[in-house]
Amino acid sequence: MIKVTQISKVYNAGRPNEFTAVREVSLTVNLGEVTVLKGPSGSGKTTLLGMLGCMVRPTSGRISLSHREITSLPERFLTQIRRETFGFIFQQFNLIKGLTALENVMAPAYPTGEKFATLRSRALETLALFNLAHKAAAKVEWLSGGEAQRVAIARALINNPAIIIADEPTAHLDTKLSHEFMAIIRQLKDDGKTILIASHDPIVYDSELMTSRIELRDGSVVTAGSLP
Amino acid sequence: MPHTIEKQRHIIDFTLASLLRRRGKNGALFTVYTLIVFILASVMFFTYALKEEAAQVLKGAPEIVVQRSLQGRYAPIPLEYAAKIRGIRGVMAVRPRLWGYYYDSVFLANYTIMTAESIPLPPGSIAIGHGISRMRRAYEGDTISFTGVDGKARNFTIAKILPQESQLLSADLILMNEDEYREFSGLPPGLASDLTLKVRNPKELTTIAEKIVKALPDSRPIIRNEILRTYDALFSWRGGLLIIIMSAAVLAFVIFAWDKASGLSAEEKKEIGILKAVGWETSDILFMKFWEGMTVSLTSFLAGTILAYGHIFFTSAALFAPVLKGWSVLYPVFRLTPFINPGQIATLFFLTVVPYTVTTIIPSWRAATIDPDSVLRS
Repeated sequence: MIKVTQISKVYNAGRPNEFTAVREVSLTVNLGEVTVLKGPSGSGKTTLLGMLGCMVRPTSGRISLSHREITSLPERFLTQIRRETFGFIFQQFNLIKGLTALENVMAPAYPTGEKFATLRSRALETLALFNLAHKAAAKVEWLSGGEAQRVAIARALINNPAIIIADEPTAHLDTKLSHEFMAIIRQLKDDGKTILIASHDPIVYDSELMTSRIELRDGSVVTAGSLP
Repeated sequence: MPHTIEKQRHIIDFTLASLLRRRGKNGALFTVYTLIVFILASVMFFTYALKEEAAQVLKGAPEIVVQRSLQGRYAPIPLEYAAKIRGIRGVMAVRPRLWGYYYDSVFLANYTIMTAESIPLPPGSIAIGHGISRMRRAYEGDTISFTGVDGKARNFTIAKILPQESQLLSADLILMNEDEYREFSGLPPGLASDLTLKVRNPKELTTIAEKIVKALPDSRPIIRNEILRTYDALFSWRGGLLIIIMSAAVLAFVIFAWDKASGLSAEEKKEIGILKAVGWETSDILFMKFWEGMTVSLTSFLAGTILAYGHIFFTSAALFAPVLKGWSVLYPVFRLTPFINPGQIATLFFLTVVPYTVTTIIPSWRAATIDPDSVLRS
């Protein structure tokens, strides 16, 4: 369970361009749920996701993960939590150009020091889950949009995280690919993963897969609750 | 421990893959870096090998050479000085030497003429060094002409070309009989160019030199170690001169490397952000940059050093020979014996590899400590 208490994030504090991205948000995300953060651009979805995923430190407030307060942890521990607990799917996919699909998928597991052969076969298995085994040796810039996103998903899953965080995952996909993405989310949900998605795409937030929805506007929660 | 080693292996794998992605940029850096190491290592190898070579050659040189000084300048020494010096306790043998220089105005070259002692020469014959033979295209059995002190040309038959192994000292050498030398150079009987001494106890060299000066105030004894010191200073000076000239190139490289190393491109920054976002720690990023710097600088260092070794010891320093060997028309052709000073290699390593590796880490430190959420906002 992720519990968020009164968190705010202020960028450029004390400067003329000070900007509050998230203000005094409190919410709870239960394990096994698929939660969508809905809201227009600039509503604070990405910042909130970043704070939930230990990428951004809140300016104030507390976040606890499985009843462990993580806000005040040093950077090293936050990185470890990020690596072991969360898998990230970014809006721009954020694959590393020039490297192969396989190398991109393996990258998050390098700091774990796992044996290369084991890691490689696990990465190949993960790619095979998304019908990408034949693209393992292909450089990521040669992949189509759909393939690149599936590689990004495979990368998010390589360390077998309990929670998947996806930021506007369908923003660069056409309708067909967006539906394919949702099929993958279904699979992940069936595998028991907790999923947090920020999106303003109706294919995502109106999907029957969603178990709860948090609506944001101007950095504050407008509505939050479970979906029937 | 195996976990840490495996982790470093992963990071090195990733680093190598990263370097290969930017082939053009890293290739250019590697080439320039290698060139700089090649130049510096060539100068170092060459000057050190020459100094060693000179030291080896001078091992067989006389322990003390006595010259005469007149008006503060060199002058031929009377043979009766030899008898006086022989009388000094500790002196085993005194031998007069006849030698001088000859300027060849046709080929604009200076030759050294000495009297032959170990090589028997028939009258009218000479032995010449390989350098002279090469330049004048004169070989065994040919007749060669030199102008004597009286302005008249004299013909000599070449009886022998001196062996190539002693090229460093003999390339410009002409050996002739004593009588012919005196007649050719105008050195009157009873005078020699200098005297060479054999001394029983090397520890007494300075004392004997002092005694010679006391007995013969116009004499000037030169101890072998002083000649070695002069060679050492000469070659160090030439090496230093070349390094000063090359320092502009070194400086250009430093600027280039600094620019490359300190200015992380937007793409590199983004990559660091991605790696941090997916779970790489700041220390992992720094290790990656450390390995990147080490890979570039170490391979360039090794390549530059190996190339310099080949250049100096296999091609006889084809590129730098004119500056480093001397300003002579007659460049000796010889192959240097490889002498390598580990201290110099270590100095070169610390002057090239270490600074580069450090300069690649510092800017990465700044990039590695930024919040990974920059990736979310790109």
